[in-house]
Amino acid sequence: MTKNATPIPKGLYLLGGFILLAIVVNMIFFTVDETEQAVILQFGKFVRAIREPGLHVKVPYPIQTVRILDKRILEYDSEPREIVTGDKKTLVIDNYARWRISDPLLFMKKVVNEAGAQTRLDDIVYSVLRVDLGKRDLTEIVSKRAPIMHTVSEECTAKMTEFGIEIVNVRIKRADLPEENERAVFERMEAERSRKAKKYRAEGRQTATEIRAETDKERTVILAEAYKQAKTTEGEGDAEATEIYAKAFSRDPDFYEFWRTLQAYKHTIDDKTTLVIDANSPFYKYLQGTTQK
Amino acid sequence: MPPQDFDLRKMKVKGRKGEDFEINLSNLKLPKISLRWIVLAAVAIWLLTGFYMVSPGEQGVVRRFGAYVYSTEEGLRYHLPYPIEALDKVSLTEIRRLEVGFRTVQGVARNVHRESHMLSGDENIVNVTMIVQYRVNDAFAYLFNVKDQVGTILDATESALRQVIGIHSIDDVLTAGKQQIQDETREKLDELLQSYSLGVHVTAVQLQDVHPPQQVIHAFKDVASAKEDKSKTINNAHGYRNEVLPQAVGEAAQMVRKAEGAKVDRIKRAEGDVQKFLKVLEKYRMAKDVTRRRLYIETMEEVLPAAKKIILTETGQVNLLNLLSSDFQTLAPSKKEAGGR
Repeated sequence: MTKNATPIPKGLYLLGGFILLAIVVNMIFFTVDETEQAVILQFGKFVRAIREPGLHVKVPYPIQTVRILDKRILEYDSEPREIVTGDKKTLVIDNYARWRISDPLLFMKKVVNEAGAQTRLDDIVYSVLRVDLGKRDLTEIVSKRAPIMHTVSEECTAKMTEFGIEIVNVRIKRADLPEENERAVFERMEAERSRKAKKYRAEGRQTATEIRAETDKERTVILAEAYKQAKTTEGEGDAEATEIYAKAFSRDPDFYEFWRTLQAYKHTIDDKTTLVIDANSPFYKYLQGTTQK
Repeated sequence: MPPQDFDLRKMKVKGRKGEDFEINLSNLKLPKISLRWIVLAAVAIWLLTGFYMVSPGEQGVVRRFGAYVYSTEEGLRYHLPYPIEALDKVSLTEIRRLEVGFRTVQGVARNVHRESHMLSGDENIVNVTMIVQYRVNDAFAYLFNVKDQVGTILDATESALRQVIGIHSIDDVLTAGKQQIQDETREKLDELLQSYSLGVHVTAVQLQDVHPPQQVIHAFKDVASAKEDKSKTINNAHGYRNEVLPQAVGEAAQMVRKAEGAKVDRIKRAEGDVQKFLKVLEKYRMAKDVTRRRLYIETMEEVLPAAKKIILTETGQVNLLNLLSSDFQTLAPSKKEAGGR
C-alpha cells in the first residue's frame, strides 16, 4: 500500500502545485474590465486608483485589497415626487439622472458604494429641482424644459463633484398634474372642446348661408340680365317691324288708314258687339247696297 | 514510471484471473496513454472553445483580461479561451425596437399609463405611445460606456417625447403636428444619446396611438363630428348652388331664345303684312274707287253677320225697318234676313 501511495502523490504534487500557483496568481494578479475601474487599498487605506482595464498586479491579500467600481454611465431614477411650482400649483415630477464615478477615491470615501451614491443623488437632485421649479410657473415647466434641465444639471454637477460623482445630465421625465387636479383639467378640456364644436357648426352654417345668398343673388342677376337681353331683342324686332311697316305704309298713308281700319273691324267686331249705325253714314249706305245686291 | 503503472495493473489483473504476464504488460501501456490523452483532450477542448463565428453585420469584440484588444468582422474567428480573452458579439445592422407607452405582451399591446400619460403645451392631458427604432453603430461604445443601454434609451425617449409634447398644443399633437413631433423627438433623443456616448443611432421615431384621455374622449369625438357637420352643411349649400345656378342659366337662355324668336316673328310678320299691303296697294292704284268700295263691302260682309246692330235714322229716330224686324233689339244676325226685308 505504501508502495502504491508514494507514486500517486507525485501527480497530486503537481496538482497541488498548480492550485497553489493559481492562488498566488490570483492574489497577485487581478483584472479590470473595460466597464470597470479599481481602487487598491492597503490595510484599508487608499493606495492608488486604476482606470486602465487589463491585467494588474498588487501585493497579496491581507496587505492590499482591490475594490472594483463601475466606470460606465450609471442610472439614477427617482420615484415621482410632488413639487410646488412658482404659481402655487402642484406637479408630480419624475426625473432621472445619468452619472458616473469620476473620482474613485472620493467616491469610496464619501459614499462607499453605488447604493450610497443613489441616496446622495436622491437628496441633492430633489432639493435642486424643488428650489429651481419653485421659482417657475407651471406653464414654463411644461413647455420650457430644456433650460430648466440645463441649469438643474449644472447645479447638481457642482454639488456632486465632492462625492467623486460626475453628473452627465438630469432630465425631467414626467411633469404631470396630481390625480386630484386632473378632474379640473378634464372639465376644462371638455369645455374647450364643446366651444370648438359649436364654433365649427356655426362656421358651417355661416358659410352655407353665405353660399346660398350668393347663389340667390347670382340667380337673380342671371335672370335680370336675360330679361334685359330678351326685351332688347324684342324691342329690336318691334323697331324693325315698325320700320318695315312705316316704309311700306308711307307710300300711301290714306289707303293704309282705310286698309287698316277694315282690318281693325275684322278684329274688333264679333257677336258681342252692338253696332249703332247712323242711317246717314256711308256705312249704312253700303249696308243698304249690300242688301240690294 | 512504468513500474508503478505496471504494479497497479498487475494487482487488478491478479484479482480477477490468473492471466498471463504478457497481456498484463500490453494493457499496462494503455492507461498511461489514456491519462495523457485526457489531459491533452481537455487542453484541446479548452483551446477549441476559442473558435467563434461572426455573422454578417455583426462585430466581434475581444477583451484580454478585461481590456479591449480588437474587433473582428464576419467569418470564423479565434480568440484565446476563457480566462484570458472574452468575446462579445454585437449586430451593427439589426434594427432594434423599443416600445414607449405600451408593451406588446404575447401579441397584445398593453398601455403603460405611467409612460403614455402626459401634458401638452396648452396644459391638456394626452396619451401618446411611440416606437423607437435604433441601430448600434459603435459596438465598443454600446458595450462598455453605459450600464443598462435599453433602460437608458427608454428614459431618454420618455424625457425627449415629453419635452417635445410640452411645446405643442393638443391639437397639434392629435392632428397635423405628428410629423413635426416625431422629427423633433428624434432630434432630441439623438442628442441625448450622444451625450451618453451610447454608440447608438436612432433610425426612426414613430408615434403610434395618440388620443385624448378616456374621460374626455367623447368631447373630442364631438369636435370631429362638428367638423363633419360643418363640411356637410357647406356641401349642402354647394349642392343648392349647383342646382339653382344651372337652372337659372337655363331659364335665362330660354328667355333670350324666346325673345329672339319673337323678334324674328315680328319682323317676318311685318314683312308679310307689308307684302300683302303692297300687293293690294298695287291693285288699288289701278282702280282706286272701285277697289276701295269692294274692300269695304267685303269686310262688312265678313264682319257684320256676327254683330248686333242698331240703325239710327238721320233725325235720331229708330229706323222703321229695325223696329219691325227686331223690336228695338237686334237685327237678325244673318245678312239673308236683312236682305229679306
